Amino acid sequence: MRHSFLLSFALGAGWLLSPEALVIGGNTAGNMGWLAIASLAGAALLLSISGNLLNPSQRAAEHDNNYRLLRYMTGTLPAIGLTLASSIPLVILAATALLVTSGYTFNEVFLYWFPNFGFSFLLLALLTLLQFFPEKIIFRTQICFVLLTAGALLFLALSGIAGTEPPVYEVLEQPGSFSSASSVLMLLLFTGSTSGVKPKHPCLVPIAGLVIFSLWILASLCYVNPERLASSTIPYMTVARTIMGEPGRQIMGVAIISGTCGAITGLMFMCRVMLAEVATVHNGNNLLSATIQRWVFPLLVALATGILMAGGLAGDELLETFLRGALILWLIHHSLLCLSAILTNYRAHQTVPPAGAMTTALFIAAVFILIVTNPQRNEITFFILSMLGTGGLIPAIWIVINKITGTRTTTQQTEKTL
Amino acid sequence: MKKLTLLLLSFLLLCAALPAIAGEVPLISKDELKAQLDSGNVVILDVRSGRDWSSSEFKIKGAVQAPGSDIAKWSKDYTKDQPLVLYCA
Repeated sequence: MRHSFLLSFALGAGWLLSPEALVIGGNTAGNMGWLAIASLAGAALLLSISGNLLNPSQRAAEHDNNYRLLRYMTGTLPAIGLTLASSIPLVILAATALLVTSGYTFNEVFLYWFPNFGFSFLLLALLTLLQFFPEKIIFRTQICFVLLTAGALLFLALSGIAGTEPPVYEVLEQPGSFSSASSVLMLLLFTGSTSGVKPKHPCLVPIAGLVIFSLWILASLCYVNPERLASSTIPYMTVARTIMGEPGRQIMGVAIISGTCGAITGLMFMCRVMLAEVATVHNGNNLLSATIQRWVFPLLVALATGILMAGGLAGDELLETFLRGALILWLIHHSLLCLSAILTNYRAHQTVPPAGAMTTALFIAAVFILIVTNPQRNEITFFILSMLGTGGLIPAIWIVINKITGTRTTTQQTEKTL
Repeated sequence: MKKLTLLLLSFLLLCAALPAIAGEVPLISKDELKAQLDSGNVVILDVRSGRDWSSSEFKIKGAVQAPGSDIAKWSKDYTKDQPLVLYCA
């Protein structure tokens, strides 16, 4: 798979430009003022350091894939459990949440007579259909989604900053208030940003995210008062409307819908990469597992998302709790990957990269802060534990079945040979 | 595999069309509601909850959030002769 610079950005920045990320960014800007930009810069720096730490070109050949790296530290079962738990629930829950948001946006901004629920399902069907096209077409479409979203956001932000009264420097002079709970949320903007990115560009998505979001936060602070930004459930639309009126709403409407498409396609790709890494280690990525990843997986994700939407999860507060839990699971997975990279590095060279160690410690602290400071901490903890349990149970059952039937897996054969 | 894909896509498209074939519900127009708002005794209830509510830009000023799933709870707060207007989109 040849990844261009643009494709690396498109695959890594899917979630970053999603409506959910815009809500996190907007609310954090409201809570912290201009300090939100400093927090964003900190998060981008940490992700860049971890991107370098996990760069396959800087690792030993036997740890060339992330799952293998994780397995080195945790063992097979926890590694599979964590890989499954940090990827599949995220793509399903994010798709459910984002499609509902897009449905409302389409209905309220473009066509009042078109049912929002109908649009959500239509978009899900189209995005599922896209997964069955050749990879080249999926990648080109993803580039279009991401560039359209980034372009719309930059256009609105720059138009706003250029025409703002009072001038930007006055906004920057206003005091901001630091909040650890709000600032760690910025890490969640970069969910999935390391997947599909070419080793040559480990800092690409964090830097692009920093530029786009800094401008957007600045424009938001210039036009909408912080209390309103902090409490709004759709801060992006409030800002777009204040900057440019009805045309601003329409531009933001395009950004929300294309951002949803980009996020779902990007997360789907992230999941497929993670599953392929597990498959490569255990059965050499044979035809069956390749078929499952390429054809069955998108169908299962679409089916699960469709069932959750039709079952009314969108109207339940649990969706937000579960989605936050799924995002934290991704951060746990990323933190443990970094820790494992440090351990392998220590084994090989007897040195610990100080920046990498500090970053990993901060990621682990961020996981705790995100859980402890959330009002639904019990539900989130339960969700995380049950996803990890379920993720571990599937391979455990598979191992037991293999033992009972006496079938030797390719892994066992390989390990014996070695 | 193709049949399975077509089946799933058909299911998703059917779900997309479901709102259009929903049953008849007594409706009130925007203008009728505006006229009733002036009378002051009408209660407007926004029955959306979760992301259905938070994703929407349009919320009627003064509407009370009363999720459809909690009807047993909030229905006790109103008398039977009180005009209630429910909206969900």
